[in-house]
Amino acid sequence: MIEQNNDSGTESNRPNTGWTIPSGRRTDEWSECLVLIGNKQDRAAFTRFFRHFGPLIKAFALSGSSLSAAHADELVQEVMIKVWQKAGGFNPEKAAASTWVYTIARNCRTDMFRRLQKFDTQLAAEDLNIELEEEEPFAVLHNRRGADRVRELMGQLPPDQAQILAKVYMEGKSHSEAAAELDLPLGTVKSRVRLAIQKLQVQMDRL
Amino acid sequence: MVNHHPSTDFLMEYSAGTLPVAQAACVSAHIDYCDKCRRAHEQFQSIGGTLFDALEPVPVTDSLLERILAQLDDPAPLTFTPATQDEALPGLLRRIINGDFSQLVWKRVTKSLSVSYLSTGDTDYEFALFRIAAGGRIPEHRHGGSEMTLVLEGGFSDGHGSYHPGDFVFRSQDDTHAPVALDGEHCICLAVTDAPLKFTRWQHRWMNPFMQLRAS
Repeated sequence: MIEQNNDSGTESNRPNTGWTIPSGRRTDEWSECLVLIGNKQDRAAFTRFFRHFGPLIKAFALSGSSLSAAHADELVQEVMIKVWQKAGGFNPEKAAASTWVYTIARNCRTDMFRRLQKFDTQLAAEDLNIELEEEEPFAVLHNRRGADRVRELMGQLPPDQAQILAKVYMEGKSHSEAAAELDLPLGTVKSRVRLAIQKLQVQMDRL
Repeated sequence: MVNHHPSTDFLMEYSAGTLPVAQAACVSAHIDYCDKCRRAHEQFQSIGGTLFDALEPVPVTDSLLERILAQLDDPAPLTFTPATQDEALPGLLRRIINGDFSQLVWKRVTKSLSVSYLSTGDTDYEFALFRIAAGGRIPEHRHGGSEMTLVLEGGFSDGHGSYHPGDFVFRSQDDTHAPVALDGEHCICLAVTDAPLKFTRWQHRWMNPFMQLRAS
């Protein structure tokens, strides 16, 4: 049910061909839309993109938060204008369109919460989450495979693990807030998170 | 080579945007040094992207679309460019310092320790740079709360290990340590903490009343 993006997962079904690049080229509709917006300032593509992602951004705005419907619309507006301004920097080799939009929506929502709470900082969420450019093609492909694998494996997570990830990522809850809302000990939340990370095979070779 | 990293929990909360500003700035600065954490961070963001894809859509109106289309030709706001380009420092820190280390005002704490307080707007966490003279020692202390440390220049060791530029260390409440700067070069660290440090040895305890949290 989580997996809606029908072209993800093709990577892992393909035999490992080593250095042949770029087998990970994505041709899905929303990546193409973003490229059209970025390269040609294509308003028709932007409108299609809005019709698909606007309702998801609004749902994201209203997830587990106290934002009013008016603020949710304001968030859709802010995010979509950023999509228009930043689409030129979208690299379909690097990220899925929905992950790219998600990061913009996350940053805008964090900033909106801080504004509403009169939290005065010169640092926007975007400044705290600088996208560093990976130039080396093999590294780009490798990262992309990791991201696609996460996407594919998400559909196989047990509900109790998926529920916590949704609290954290969609509702913007800290682990302790998630524990309080689900009436679980913090240790249980943390161990479910760890199990989920293992199942998703997030690259943790750093530890 | 970076050897000490933020925990999985911190990286996940960072990628979900739920870390407090000062802590997020520290993790962000670490990622500037660390390709492994950056890759893990990108995969964590894919979790968000996948869940975002699966949300139950909430209808939006055509009038909202029209309002947005009407604004598309407004020029994008100008983005900030820091005054100097000291490439050894993460861009976010250059921005918070508004320049490089030469712009800082250092305040002396002990013979071998100076501090420079910076502002992130986060009033729960102190965000400060500490400079330890080469070979200098910070008296043994613990923290009333938590402390994130990121080495920016030089290095230090503290009985648990030794740390070099890009290394990230987290100490929770009541961990006691006595960092010593490595020989040959002074050490500059970023420290993000939510409670003032407390010296534990009797000969240094007299300083404790003067150690206040400077969160701003």
